[in-house]
Amino acid sequence: MKRCILLLFFTCWCILSIQAQQDSILVNRYVMRSTLYGIGYTNILDTYLSPAEYTGAEIRILRENMRMTRLLNGKVSRQSLFQAQMAMTENRAGTGSEFAFLANWNFAWHYQHRFNEHIKLLVGPNIDLNGGMIYNFRNSNNPVQAKAYVNLGASGMTIYRFNIKEYPFVLRYQLNLPLLGIMFSPEYGQPYYEMSISHDWGKNLCFTSLHNQPAIRQFITLDFPIKSLNVRVGYVCDIQQSKVNHLRNHTWSHTFMAGIVKNFYVLKGKNKVAMPASVSPY
Amino acid sequence: MLALTLIFHACITEEISENTPKGNFQALWEIIDTKYCFLDYKQDEYGLDWKQVYQTYSNRLTDDMGNKALFQVLSEMLKELRDGHVNLVAYHETSQYREWYDNYPTNFVDTIQRIYLGKDYVTAAGIKYSILEDNIGYIYYGSFSSGIGESNLDEILNELSICDGLIIDVRNNGGGLLSLSDRLASRFTNEKVLTGYMSYKTGPGHNDFSQPEPIYVEPATNRVRWQKAVAVLTNRRSYSSTNDFVGKMKQMPKSIIVGDKTGGGSGLPFSSELPNGWSVRFSASPMYDPDMNHLEFGINPDIKIDMTLEDMQKGKDTIIEAAREILKAKKE
Repeated sequence: MKRCILLLFFTCWCILSIQAQQDSILVNRYVMRSTLYGIGYTNILDTYLSPAEYTGAEIRILRENMRMTRLLNGKVSRQSLFQAQMAMTENRAGTGSEFAFLANWNFAWHYQHRFNEHIKLLVGPNIDLNGGMIYNFRNSNNPVQAKAYVNLGASGMTIYRFNIKEYPFVLRYQLNLPLLGIMFSPEYGQPYYEMSISHDWGKNLCFTSLHNQPAIRQFITLDFPIKSLNVRVGYVCDIQQSKVNHLRNHTWSHTFMAGIVKNFYVLKGKNKVAMPASVSPY
Repeated sequence: MLALTLIFHACITEEISENTPKGNFQALWEIIDTKYCFLDYKQDEYGLDWKQVYQTYSNRLTDDMGNKALFQVLSEMLKELRDGHVNLVAYHETSQYREWYDNYPTNFVDTIQRIYLGKDYVTAAGIKYSILEDNIGYIYYGSFSSGIGESNLDEILNELSICDGLIIDVRNNGGGLLSLSDRLASRFTNEKVLTGYMSYKTGPGHNDFSQPEPIYVEPATNRVRWQKAVAVLTNRRSYSSTNDFVGKMKQMPKSIIVGDKTGGGSGLPFSSELPNGWSVRFSASPMYDPDMNHLEFGINPDIKIDMTLEDMQKGKDTIIEAAREILKAKKE
């Protein structure tokens, strides 16, 4: 009987070992997820609303999700990066104010080249979706400017792992550069009222590229553990600008961020009524 | 780093004049020069020469002039545009061009109007209404900034449906929301009606305009629509959105415009600002009638009538009386 029980344990251990080995090679199931909150400074210009620059404080949330894929022998990772920012700004004379909101979703695929165990370089394409508005509190029939644009771009990242006296750090620099896109913009003096009665929106969709939308988003982050938490601090330099339909606009933001990083291992089918009997504790 | 370098060399900014009397003057002149929509039209109408205006008023600037003196020069320069939609807003004052009504009869006395409204008039949202003795409905709408909902209009028109005709009095209504002008006008047609055109500036040149976009009034569907004759009463202070409403009603089949020429104001106003933070409002998008005539200087009534002193002394409103007669005649 004892032999039977030992045999059963041994068989189970073998099966679980094989399962574990299978899982260990499924690197695409490891997910890095972080949520950062930040405060910073922004400078806004939109000549549809005003020729003056408006400056003020900005708050931002940044949610990032990154995992490996099976593409190119598992050397490609994908990154989903969502940001939302709000700013309350004033003109230089302090007589006018503008509220700005922008949400941005960036989806990138990076080919990962590992130089050594400390440093790796990631490059690849990205899709960049943006939507928001700027509201000027004292304008008459041009109080608001809607923001909507989508880009195809290039994304690059360097990740450097290092220790200081056996204390581990991960440093990352990322740059997203839009290359081609489509942007909504009213024409030079076009009221939104006219848009509401017009059926021709073609003139409000503008082709963009580096010549009329020289924009860039940069992120520097540093990860380090504090007790059981994996803390991330960072700096976002978000330069959004365009020149379409004789209208100039820019949003230059510099934001300091802080938050937590969590690492997950995705279990397939975990939401089913019953997990596989081999791994379920129930 | 290369990308970073490129971006810093490609910063998109707007050149702004310095915050000095000359800088603020220059900024204001350029805003009007590049964004104001009636420069060429007004040159044809009364010889406005915006470059000459620059010469005339720049000579009055000095480096050490104070804010009030600068405001005086800038507001006088803006008055050359003869546009009630143009205002300069400073901390201490707002400039206004008022000659579009100051130089004309008022054609509206609220104490006399109250006699017609009576004591039992009804107020619904921004509208006051009552039924006159000869069974003519009377609506006074004093501002297109005072909201009226579709249900308000249903109730009002239902209530007045027993009347033989309807007066809509928009005298002294200085305008407000174009959407309310559409909403009210849509109760007076059973068909889609072309009421005019609208264009806007596509660039900084004086002639950079878009193709005019037709503006239609569509009948309010599943709502109460007025089927009898309607008289719209106007005076010189019927301005901006009210001018738009009168222009729309002029195209309606059973409508007649009675009173004085409207004040105009057919340019949809935009805002901008000067380096010192003063705000400026100006006409940006011109509107036209169905024959592409400008409406900036007002719309002529179908029946031109001024209030007479004799009637006023008797507590009578000449324009309301004329409208009643017209509506009664139409009924017969």
